[in-house]
Amino acid sequence: MTGLPLVSVPRNRPRLWLALLSAGLAAACVASLLFGAGSTGPGASLRGLLAWIAGLDAGPDDARARFVVESLRAPRTLIGVLVGAALGAAGALLQAVTRNPLAEPGLLGVSAGSALAVAIAIALGASAATLRVPVAQLGALAGCVAVLAASRVRGVGDDPIRLVLAGAVLSGLLGSLTSMILLFDERTADEIRFWVVGSLAGRRPADIMALLPGLGVALAIVVVIARPLAALALGERVATGLGHRPRTVRLLVIVAVALLVGSATAIAGPIAFVGLVAPFAARLLAGPDIRRTLWLSLPIGALLTVGADIASRLLVRPSELPLGVLTALVGAPVLVAVVRLRRLPGL
Amino acid sequence: MWRIAARGHDGRWSILVDKRATAANLLLTGLLLAASLASLCLGSASIGATAALRGLFGHGDAMTVFVIRELRLTRLAAGLLSGAAFALAGCLMQTLARNRLATPGIIGIDNGATAFAVASVVGTGFGLAPPAMALAGAATATAITFGLAGGVGTRGYRFIVAGIGVGAAFGAGTQLMLARAPIDNANTAYPWTVGSLNAADPLAVELLAVGLPAALVGAGLLARALAAVRFSDAVARGLGIRVGRCRLHALALAVLLSALAVAVAGPVGLIALMGPEIARHLSSRRGVPLFGAALAGALIMVVADLVGRRVLAPIEIPAGLITSVVGAPFLLWILLRPGHRIGA
Amino acid sequence: MLITIRKTGLCLALTALLAVSLPGAARTLDTRYGTIEIDGTPERVVTLHEGALDAAVALGTTPVAAVATRGGDGVARYMDGRVDDIAIVGTARETHIEAVVAQRPDVILAAATLPESQYRLLSNIAPTVVPKGSNFAPDAWQAHTRLYARALNATDRAEALINNFDTRTAAIATQVPEAAEATLARWMPQGPLVMADIIFASRVLAAAGFTVNDAGVVAEGRPHSDPLSLENLDRIDSDWLFLATLNADGENALAQARSSPGFERLDVVQRDRVVAVDGQLWTSASGPIAANAILDDIAAALDLDRQP
Repeated sequence: MTGLPLVSVPRNRPRLWLALLSAGLAAACVASLLFGAGSTGPGASLRGLLAWIAGLDAGPDDARARFVVESLRAPRTLIGVLVGAALGAAGALLQAVTRNPLAEPGLLGVSAGSALAVAIAIALGASAATLRVPVAQLGALAGCVAVLAASRVRGVGDDPIRLVLAGAVLSGLLGSLTSMILLFDERTADEIRFWVVGSLAGRRPADIMALLPGLGVALAIVVVIARPLAALALGERVATGLGHRPRTVRLLVIVAVALLVGSATAIAGPIAFVGLVAPFAARLLAGPDIRRTLWLSLPIGALLTVGADIASRLLVRPSELPLGVLTALVGAPVLVAVVRLRRLPGL
Repeated sequence: MWRIAARGHDGRWSILVDKRATAANLLLTGLLLAASLASLCLGSASIGATAALRGLFGHGDAMTVFVIRELRLTRLAAGLLSGAAFALAGCLMQTLARNRLATPGIIGIDNGATAFAVASVVGTGFGLAPPAMALAGAATATAITFGLAGGVGTRGYRFIVAGIGVGAAFGAGTQLMLARAPIDNANTAYPWTVGSLNAADPLAVELLAVGLPAALVGAGLLARALAAVRFSDAVARGLGIRVGRCRLHALALAVLLSALAVAVAGPVGLIALMGPEIARHLSSRRGVPLFGAALAGALIMVVADLVGRRVLAPIEIPAGLITSVVGAPFLLWILLRPGHRIGA
Repeated sequence: MLITIRKTGLCLALTALLAVSLPGAARTLDTRYGTIEIDGTPERVVTLHEGALDAAVALGTTPVAAVATRGGDGVARYMDGRVDDIAIVGTARETHIEAVVAQRPDVILAAATLPESQYRLLSNIAPTVVPKGSNFAPDAWQAHTRLYARALNATDRAEALINNFDTRTAAIATQVPEAAEATLARWMPQGPLVMADIIFASRVLAAAGFTVNDAGVVAEGRPHSDPLSLENLDRIDSDWLFLATLNADGENALAQARSSPGFERLDVVQRDRVVAVDGQLWTSASGPIAANAILDDIAAALDLDRQP
């Protein structure tokens, strides 16, 4: 125990970082409950929060604050945590399986695939509320398969940036197809156009419940897959030698990524760059081992999303900014920074 | 190669004409004329080719003349000019960066121009007209992309991805403005985000009509130097070319052309990739196919606009969506072809 | 049927001669892009604005073509049955000028917001009537209706329509309690857009005796606010809430709103004074027929409210 852990980056202490980040996330969640676009300030919110947690029955002002905290801010905070953690984990998994530090569900077209699937479903007359999650997951799955197929092309797999480029093109193509659907169906255009910029506002607790099965399965896969994936990072032969089956591992990772991204996209719309920034930060803190970065990506992704959501509420009160735009404005510089590194961080 | 030689009273002169490039340019010109004629003839009410041509020169009944000259010709001009400008800008940028993927649309320049232009359309306080704003945006994005790429050079994929990052940030800015604008204004600005000739601003078309010929002349003057720069700085210097100045001029031309074209048609960026690529396939690999690229770009734009107008009439599909749906698979094919090199 | 357009002062003698032999004397219209002259009663009328279509039909003309309502692919639902065979020559977003040419119009009635570049093209096809002044000015629809009426040679009918509206609003206003506040909002999934107090439907509400409350969140000169944060729903808690969507029928809008947290807590919801209305009518249309249709909605809401 030498030196100050906060000053020198102790790459070998993932547990410490995990604890610190979780504490930070908890603080962000409290802040997310206390601050909003409305007139309920931090002080009133705190009383409302206490009233909710302690079950105290207070005056009408506190009842209002309690409502704002309990019914408006708590659901979106929870969704922010889930979406951010899901995207962070999806990014870490996708980067590990493609061995590419730039692989990000948004950049590679996985989110665009799920947005297109939802747009098609709504345009065909599906009820947005019930069908969205499985449809988005199917779209994400198609996007994942396309990405993996591209990364298997000779020459592309070894060149991380070429894959990203192909993904960006695929993303653009899927986005154009979504725009075309909006063009035909002006009636759904309003609904989808607001959805494609990404937001956490106005979601109901029932919407969260719809996500849980997918996220649960994905979590189970992640727990099983972490060790084989780390072995795979050492090369296919090593992994096979250790008794893992690379094809099965890849297949499982793809299913997990599709479930995670599909769930996140279904509830919040496409939110770019969280899946890039979270694993990137995790690697800075804990080094390249996937078993560490994966777990660290969860709180970092959540922290990022909740933080961006707080900012989206405070910047243009009494209205709100679209969340996806804010994460893109934060994430794009990180992308450029990663690209500028002389050597891309190894995986 | 053909050698055209003549003997004047003050001596002999001769120029070399690339046979294949000439044939390619003639082919493209022929196709372009056919597409233009189709674009004049087809519309809400079809007009026969003869009547259309007579109308073009002011003959025939007044309404036909009006439809041909005021409506279809204006739109055709916007398509020809913007398509040629996009492709020429793409060809210049590819050559100076020595990178086949380094087209203005991909490295964020179009997005920069669009973001600034949309800012002026939705009225966020900037007072300049859209073309001027587009130019400012294109210059800003170029400066940022090249500034950020300073450490990595322009040849590889890193440069491109840095540009994608810049483009993503500007794209997010555009989204933000559209989400905050009144819905009616946002609808006015919507064609800007996908690229369409329907809302072409007459002022912007006029500016482009002046800018494109000037840029073509400028590009023609740079052609020889660019053909040398294509290989390496050392080769170019050996041939007595001032490499830095040549690059700077080409970059300035590319930025100007992209901005003027975006002001007319919005971000139809993939033309900048497809135009030069087609021209390169048709012509020989000796030179930089600046004129061929311009012709091919104009052809793509006119055809995309025609298809977008006709295929599902009366719904109009913006030309930008058509080029994106056709161009993106093409781009993927370039990217994913095993064992290719991206150096121009 | 003959219509001529002339720059003022040109061919006055000829026009006067023709006027003798035609129903409807030559009229000089003062429009946004200068004065135009119209002669006789136009037969083929093309309207490029929802308010112009509404006014033309109210004035007894059946236009041959119009633009689609916002968010739809035909004319607005409240016009159903009045103009069934009408051709659509564009959307609120853009006009297909070639399609206008194909209609061979005698006169084109356009919106006050028509850009000059479009005007220059359209005025080649037929006299194009572009009202002066903003759509958001007080009494804008009355002024615009009067102008369109002069173009259509139906000035008397316009005055009758406007008088009728004034009488009707005065009658309704007696049933509205003093200083009753009303808010008009368009429902979006992430929060309501509050409509400004300067748009057409708000003016009708005001004429019917309501104080229109736009919650102070609409920027100057804008038709509506950004989507209001759900935390701020109490800002639209007026005595009455008129709730519209373009996408679906009004009941659907209400169901959507009810499912969002916070809505049920509003006083106006508790007192059952939320009125689901058609967004095409309330947030996009204008003109005499729309004004009366909105008054119908208001009167029905007041009746319902008075029943126990």
